[in-house]
Amino acid sequence: MTSAARTQHPSNRVAQLAVRSLLFVLRARAAFVLIALLVLFSALAPSFLTANNLAILSKHVAISAILAMGMTFVVLTGGIDLSVGSLAGLGGMVAGFLLTQGIVLAGAVRYPPVAVVIVATLAVCLVVGFLNGWLVARAGVAPFIATLGTLYIARGAALLISEGRTFPNLAGQAARGNTGFPLLGQSSFLRIPLPVWIMLALFALAWTIAVKTPLGRHVYAVGGNERAARLAGIQVSRVKVFAYLVSSLCAGLVGLIIASQLEAAHPATGESFELNAIAAVVLGGTSLMGGRGSISGSLLGAFVIGVLSDGLVMLGVSEFWQMVIKGTVIVLAVAVDQLQTRLQGSFLLRLQSADGEGRG
Amino acid sequence: MNEAADKIILEARAISKRYPGTLALDEVTLRVYRNRVNVLMGENGAGKSTLMRILAGVENADTGELLLDGAPIRIRSPREAAALGISIVHQELSVLPNLDIGENIFAGREPVKAAIFLDRPTEDLRSAQALTRLRKPMNVRIRSAQLSLGCRQIVEIARTLDQGARVLILDEPTSALSTTEADSLFAVMQDLKRSGVTIVYISHRLHELLHLGDWFTVLRSGCVVGHAPRIEVSRNWIVERMSGRRAAEATEPRPSLAGAPTLLEAAALSLGPAGADEAFQSPLHDVSFNLRRSEILGIYGLLGAGKTELLESLAGARRLLHGSVVVKGVRARVSSVADAAKHGIVLVPEDRQRDGLIPELSIRENIAIGALRGMWISRARQTAEASRLAKELNVVAADLDLPVTSLSGGNQQKVLIARCLMRNPALLLLDEPTRGVDVVAKTEIHDLLRRLAAQGIGILFASAEIEETRALADRVLVLCQGRISAEFSRNEITDDALFAAASPVVNTESIPFWGAQLP
Repeated sequence: MTSAARTQHPSNRVAQLAVRSLLFVLRARAAFVLIALLVLFSALAPSFLTANNLAILSKHVAISAILAMGMTFVVLTGGIDLSVGSLAGLGGMVAGFLLTQGIVLAGAVRYPPVAVVIVATLAVCLVVGFLNGWLVARAGVAPFIATLGTLYIARGAALLISEGRTFPNLAGQAARGNTGFPLLGQSSFLRIPLPVWIMLALFALAWTIAVKTPLGRHVYAVGGNERAARLAGIQVSRVKVFAYLVSSLCAGLVGLIIASQLEAAHPATGESFELNAIAAVVLGGTSLMGGRGSISGSLLGAFVIGVLSDGLVMLGVSEFWQMVIKGTVIVLAVAVDQLQTRLQGSFLLRLQSADGEGRG
Repeated sequence: MNEAADKIILEARAISKRYPGTLALDEVTLRVYRNRVNVLMGENGAGKSTLMRILAGVENADTGELLLDGAPIRIRSPREAAALGISIVHQELSVLPNLDIGENIFAGREPVKAAIFLDRPTEDLRSAQALTRLRKPMNVRIRSAQLSLGCRQIVEIARTLDQGARVLILDEPTSALSTTEADSLFAVMQDLKRSGVTIVYISHRLHELLHLGDWFTVLRSGCVVGHAPRIEVSRNWIVERMSGRRAAEATEPRPSLAGAPTLLEAAALSLGPAGADEAFQSPLHDVSFNLRRSEILGIYGLLGAGKTELLESLAGARRLLHGSVVVKGVRARVSSVADAAKHGIVLVPEDRQRDGLIPELSIRENIAIGALRGMWISRARQTAEASRLAKELNVVAADLDLPVTSLSGGNQQKVLIARCLMRNPALLLLDEPTRGVDVVAKTEIHDLLRRLAAQGIGILFASAEIEETRALADRVLVLCQGRISAEFSRNEITDDALFAAASPVVNTESIPFWGAQLP
């Protein structure tokens, strides 16, 4: 025991321990909530924990988790990306158009192979992502407004591509050499659906970037104090553009996966997905002010939202109540986040002053 | 290269920089001597920080050139400056609160392995080395939000050391530090000087400067008004040049206040730390004073002395830890701005743009907003009253319905004073009443304040300008590190006494006299 600890009153130590453990619970709240939900639903709905149901659940989670992980980069820089839902819709429509309508090259209609379709779709989404980043970082438009604008633009573009109609039958035709698109959303590997693998791969990649590379640290730095980051020689604009590019790439992937699962591209796909993604990010403990949060937190957040909505469906809770419950959870999460910040601050302050007295 | 030139490591030659409305630097030439502590002084707005920001590559000069070791250089970004060995520790600390110490030391220049991955072990090792060199070993994984201001400063200096700084610029490094922290910073500076680092040091604090500095340069209003080695410098030399001997404002003798009833009694005002950022700083300790009707009371102090905090707590914008405020013999609860206004206390804030004006509204609306009460806006009454005040205060505007942003700084300040007058104050608080205001408007505002005092209003203003304090105040309280360190009546005020009382006394025994080895 150190001399500083010995000088403290025992009840003081107990109080400190209590605060410490409370802080731990608050910090890891997404994990606790997830466990609680899993226990609750498996008790109430016996079929909840079956392999079949978990496969469906994980597919749902994958969609919002991919969006949430991309969104995390943007939120960490202190921004927000409202365009991801629309962008997923646009991505699906681009893929649908290329698979069913082809492109006219040298007077003849050509059907690009699936790999080209995927790359082209992601490229279109990256262009929109770059536009977001440019608007925010260079033109100085507030992130909320810039991405609200591209939300409408992307949705409008998606509707324009087919004049509002759905592109059906994305399975492709052997004669056109463009079969195989449904594999993306429907196939499995080691009995785990491919979208879940994509989610896991993206998680590994995103986590590595965020934690292990200078770029990731710059993302945190920009969100922590943009001015200081600039003075430290960090290229703030580039970092922001990067974040929006990642977010749009993830949105494009989600668009592709959904179109592949349904074997159809519908222009309204992805409506309000951005809100789900933001909710997952916030539930995962990322601060909307930027600079604080984690990729793994967002993944957990996506699981919480996915498990919550699927579980409520299985329990037969009405869709309307589901919305009320989801909203409540989100508001509570942010309120708890504020509580944690304040508690942590005052706790640290007290620790420091106790420290000082011990030394003196 | 001759011998004299050899002693100069960095020279800024004939640097000019113009901002909208002001010439911040006018052909300024600064010589920085190798392996010396080069002190730069001047009042707020003299152009010190602008000059340093140009040296550090944060801003570009309009004209003039920079020479490093006698060779012309161009510095376009902080990165380029650092590459040349010029690093700055900014006045407002630029530590990233959400990153840890090691991450901060390497922010923007992270070492990598395998071309893409962060090399954390190297970061930790080199961070620890830099901190050890500064005799301040700390756990490099501690998040910097948890550090005291002094430790954050050390982190920034460690950062510049690891960058291989040859010229280290410290922009008012001690303004926010406690005395102990400042003392340990001086020891660090001495170590650095020994190891061959040249230091450019900006500060207001006279005691420490005279012990630390080898060369002194004084700036006033964007011009160099003094440049001399330590041996030729005395406290008088500095104060005379800083405050300037401009023609004193022609003022009528102030009426005697004998017999004027006491308006405000403030007793033992204390503030707690405002946030985690100020963890170790208590901005105000047991400040007590009285103010009479018709009195103009000045509060003089350096940056961070607690002037703003004192005014804001009287105006209800900050919550007092303890202390009592009595207005006209009645105990006043000033826990909110509305409470304070009820007792007739209103504040003209220091930062017009941030805390004062509402840019979207017109001049008239900006004035009238001070008096909006009840449910409905009585446009007729509001208009009449606002127009009357605008006229009385000589707000120069073509039309009161123009946006307030169309006004010059001086007129904007008058708008804010007019807004306060809409509330019929008994006590008018002004924080830096003429900051960023031209000379004519400054005189007008001073005259206005004297007129208001003559009408029976108590005036309490805070200023970091000696000249203004001397010109305006009937009586001056000097604040230093949150305490009242001196009080002067009008005829006792001298530049020297004010300045001495405002400078925190450092334990000069702890600073070894470095002996200026002069050319």
